[in-house]
Amino acid sequence: MRKYIERIISISTADPDDMRRRRVLNILMLGTLSAAVVGLIAIVVAGVFTKVNPTDFQILLLGILGTILGILGIYQINRRYSGRLAALLFLLLLTAVFSFSDSPAQLSNGRALFIFTLPITISSLILASESSFLFAFISSGIVAGLSISIGRPINIFAIIGFFMLALVSWLSARSLETALEELRTINNNLDKVVIDRTNALAASLERERVEAGRNQAILNSIADGVIVFDRKWNAMMANPAVKSMLEVPLEWFIGKNFREIIGHPKLALKSRGLLSAMIEHDTQPIGFRIEWAGKTLSVSAAQVYNYQSENMGFVIVFRDVTREAEVEKLKSTFVAIVSHELRTPLNAILGYAEMFKEAIYGPMNDKQVNMADRIIKNTQRLLGLINDLLDQAQMEAGKLTIQMAPVRLSELLDNLHSVLDKSASDKGLRLTSEIDDILPERLNGDAARLHQILVNLVNNAIKFTDQGSVRVRLFYYDENRWGIEVTDSGRGIPESDLPYIFDTFRQVEGTATRVHGGFGLGLSIVKQLVNLMNGDVQVVSVLGQGTTFKIILPLVTSNPLQANWRVP
Amino acid sequence: MNELALIIEDDEDLADIFAEALRGVGFEVERVLDGRVAQERLKGGRIPFIILLDMHLPHVSGGDLLTIIKQDERFMETMIIITTADARMGDMYREQADFVLIKPISFVQLRDLTARLKPKQ
Repeated sequence: MRKYIERIISISTADPDDMRRRRVLNILMLGTLSAAVVGLIAIVVAGVFTKVNPTDFQILLLGILGTILGILGIYQINRRYSGRLAALLFLLLLTAVFSFSDSPAQLSNGRALFIFTLPITISSLILASESSFLFAFISSGIVAGLSISIGRPINIFAIIGFFMLALVSWLSARSLETALEELRTINNNLDKVVIDRTNALAASLERERVEAGRNQAILNSIADGVIVFDRKWNAMMANPAVKSMLEVPLEWFIGKNFREIIGHPKLALKSRGLLSAMIEHDTQPIGFRIEWAGKTLSVSAAQVYNYQSENMGFVIVFRDVTREAEVEKLKSTFVAIVSHELRTPLNAILGYAEMFKEAIYGPMNDKQVNMADRIIKNTQRLLGLINDLLDQAQMEAGKLTIQMAPVRLSELLDNLHSVLDKSASDKGLRLTSEIDDILPERLNGDAARLHQILVNLVNNAIKFTDQGSVRVRLFYYDENRWGIEVTDSGRGIPESDLPYIFDTFRQVEGTATRVHGGFGLGLSIVKQLVNLMNGDVQVVSVLGQGTTFKIILPLVTSNPLQANWRVP
Repeated sequence: MNELALIIEDDEDLADIFAEALRGVGFEVERVLDGRVAQERLKGGRIPFIILLDMHLPHVSGGDLLTIIKQDERFMETMIIITTADARMGDMYREQADFVLIKPISFVQLRDLTARLKPKQ
């Protein structure tokens, strides 16, 4: 029923004001029509059951039927053509009906006078706000006309009242319209803002979608495995390479906590602690590797920060280096075997030559002893080269470790002299050494490796110095560091070559013009050993005057109270 | 009778040189070139004053032989000198031997060392 009524009164038009007026008109017409129908039934009933003047009965009947037909016609006009025309016709019809609704005396100056107020007020609502004045004028005309027709004075107060009412109606209707207009403007602005915002949001979502799609495509296509963790260490995403590399479905990772992931049975036990320490301490060891499902993977991790420098989590990147690791292992095994197999026969040559020199099998003349000496020296040189190769291979494989133990500094220098004094004096060079008084007698270090550093540096200095001296000094740097300084009076190193002197298999002269033997591993090994000891190497060289190598090492004394410090 | 030095070394040349060095200072020398043979030898026979033990041997390793020697009370007084080319392995056995010599081992070095160890007649 409600829907039915709604359908009857509804109007479809674009102008909201017009729609409102026409809708109100429809409601009024529906009400009027209902009243007319009730009136019609009442008249018919009265006509049947009571004696009514037939002329009056006919007039009333025709009047009501006329009103009903008029309303139906106006309804059609309102629905199909024009709201304004329909409203005007309806109001005129209403005024006309009211003009005949009572005696002229009552209408002009009596009980029915008030009914003319209805079209005046209604017109402001359904026709136009100022139309109340039109109907005040029409009603005044009718009231005046009726008064004149019955010879009575015109009811001026009624006419003034009509116009006052018209004024009030006009004002209220106008303020209502203004208020509605403002509301509509606000609504429109609001709609515009909402539309703008919605469009902006849609555009930004689209941009993000495109960006995310591009990032995803990049991640999907790289061969390295990438897992992204949020700030709570839960895996947010993993790329397809992870699946093939770690042999675990991607779904398994998503949402899993980092600690849960490193508990996976395919991750080697020893790798778990390493991986965990790497993330917890945010460190990035060089050449860091883990074993997962029998594969060797190099791992790097990076914390992720947004524009506000807030930590967003971290990313772990895996690379399959199984093949490289195998090759490295083979290489180091090969070098170890070769070195061992080379050293044994060299040891035999050395031994037999020594036996000659020592005249085990009978007396030897000077020339024979000298020859035996040369065999010994060359064999020792060859053994030194093999040791260098072995050290290099071990360092490349990351197997060379530093064994810390108390070292007596004077012993280091004694050993150095016992090995190289002869080489120096053979070339007519002085090999001198000193220890800063302030240094402790003993400190913690790897005696064998420190000896190796000293021998390599001094050997090198002797090799490239033709006259003068090679000076070794163990010095105090600051309260946390000490150092080894080797200064020669040799030919010096050209500045352009300084950056390369620590490269493996390199000599300043280059391969084609080398006049000095050796693999060019000596300084490279020194540098790597010093790095392993967390130290630093510096070199200063002046062409024609000499070179100074300075090794600076962390000072660790076996006694925290430094009871072993020398008294200056 | 001179003290006995038992040389367990698979490289014949090195065994020769070591033998010559030890003989030079007055030891009687017995050479074994194989781990398994050495294992048999250690079961009986004369107790050596010095055992020169190579770690890298065929059939039975120097490490296993060292364990056997250390468990046998007869060798309580015997000096053990380990010879190896592998410095790392040398470090591993340093506690269980009297001396560890890293190859290359000089004839003179070995001769001088064993001369110091030999009891004065």
